[in-house]
This record gives sequence, structure tokens and C-alpha cells, in this order.
Amino acid sequence: MATHPGEHHHPTPLQYVKIAILLAVLTIIEVALFYVNEAADMGGWDAPLLIILAVIKFVIVVGWYMHLRFESSMLSKFFTAGFILALILYAVVLLAFGVIALGG
Amino acid sequence: MEAAAAMDHHDQHESTGIDHRKLGMWVFLSSEFLFFGALITNYLLYQGQPGFTRPYPAEIYDIPFTSFSSFALLMSSLTMVLAHNALARHDQHATRTWLLATAMLGSVFLGGQVFEFTEFVTVGGMKLTTNPAASAFFLLTGFHGFHVLLGVLMLLTLYGISRRQGELSEASGLNLELVGLYWHFVDIIWIVIFTVVYLLASVPAGIG
Repeated sequence: MATHPGEHHHPTPLQYVKIAILLAVLTIIEVALFYVNEAADMGGWDAPLLIILAVIKFVIVVGWYMHLRFESSMLSKFFTAGFILALILYAVVLLAFGVIALGG
Repeated sequence: MEAAAAMDHHDQHESTGIDHRKLGMWVFLSSEFLFFGALITNYLLYQGQPGFTRPYPAEIYDIPFTSFSSFALLMSSLTMVLAHNALARHDQHATRTWLLATAMLGSVFLGGQVFEFTEFVTVGGMKLTTNPAASAFFLLTGFHGFHVLLGVLMLLTLYGISRRQGELSEASGLNLELVGLYWHFVDIIWIVIFTVVYLLASVPAGIG
């Protein structure tokens, strides 16, 4: 196995399982929110809540399962830069076409 | 020759101290954001436009079924990281077991996608050419499914190497780490797709 700095800090199998349980619970909450909004309109609050939950899941997988939080900061910068670049680029496109709007 | 062999596997580090294959994989994954971002944006541009031939994708989603396949993919990230952990502990048997489990969960997801597409076409009446929103949906989810398929093939290759050689070598260990990074990336992309394309789906006003 190739070694790299900080490997001994990686979570244990039990911690990985706990993280998976957390991810599963977050997914259940997401689906529940979808149905709550179907049954009783949440007045637009479903979207930010679902996005926040997705961001939390995203960060957990990248940070702990992909070990980015234990890796060199250079890798974090590369990865984050690509993500933010894509986010800005397509946000501009969606704003330009009126799919999303500033200030709701 | 010996110098080249010495370079092999162990000294492929840039001046940054990071193995350049690993650095390359992270840069590749970073660039993939632009790829998937374009496809998600394409879908979002069309999903709410009125006047297309129905059905729109959001009219025929089966959220419980997609939630199940999403769960399978999410749990495959757990088995993948357990395979990585087992290899770090030099537990070859557990490594193979978790690799196979990951490939199986990935296959469950792929099977679910094939079933979903079949249902959409035969029962829902939504084909690739029905409307631009349907085309964008099939393109996005199909492209993601293709990534999952590649991941499953890489996992099975690692499993085959491990079975044939009796163990995964140090070089293969890094390969497992790289395949793991790819696999988790496919998972995080699905986290975004599941939320944005399925749970936040919308149809033009007056439909549904």
C-alpha cells in the first residue's frame, strides 16, 4: 500500500460505518422532505433545505471517504477550484436564462 | 533499466510530495465537475420550458425506487472505503470481499437504472426523442450510469488481479486508492443529481 502523510489519522472501520449511517439518515430526511412538500406546500423552503442536506452529504463523502481532509492542502485546492469554477460558470448560465433568480 | 525500475511505483512523486498518479486523478475528477455541470445545467434549462410533447421527466419519476438505488450507491462508498482500509491492514481476503461487495452494489444501481429507463420508455411513454427535457435527462443519467459501469469494471479487474496473484501489490494498492477516489466521485455526483434532478424536479406551470 502506498503510504502518505497522515494515513494513520484515517477513520477506523467502525467510524466509516457510523458515517454511512449518518449518510443514510440524511438521505431518509431528504426523501421525507420531498413527500412533506408534496403533501403540504412548504412555500419554497424545501429547495434550500434539500440543497443544504446534499451539500452536507457531499462534504462528508469528499472529506472522510475520499480522505480529502487528511490529504495535502494542494489536492483540496485543486478539487475545490474545479468545483467552484463549475458552480460559478453554470450559475451564470442559469441566471442568464432565468432558471434561477437572485433574491428568489 | 534498474533506475527505471526503481522509479516504478515508489518514487513517482512530484516535488510536492504527492504521487503524480494520485495528483492526476484529483485533477481529472476536478475537471469532471465541468462535464457533469454542463449536463445538469442542460437538464435544468429544459425541464421547466412549456410547450414540449409530454410527458416531462418529472411527471413520471418513481422517487421510492430511485431512493432505493441511490441508497445502494451510497452504501457502495462504505464498502469501497472498507476495501481500502482492509488493504492498508494487509487483509487480502477482506479486501477482495469488500471490492466484490462494492461491484455488486454498483451493479444493483446499474440494474435499477436499466429498469427505470425501460419503465420510462415502455410504461411512461418518454423516449430519448420525446422532448428536449427527456433527452437531457437520459443524457445526464445515462452518462452517469456509464461512469458507474466503468467503475464496476475497474473494481472487477482489481478483484481479478487479487484472485490471480493472491494479493494486491503495493502498486495495485495505489490503483485501489485511485479506483476508490473515482468511485466516491461517482457517488457525490449522484448525490447532486438525486437532489437537483429528482427531488427538486419541476414541470412547467399548468402541468401535473
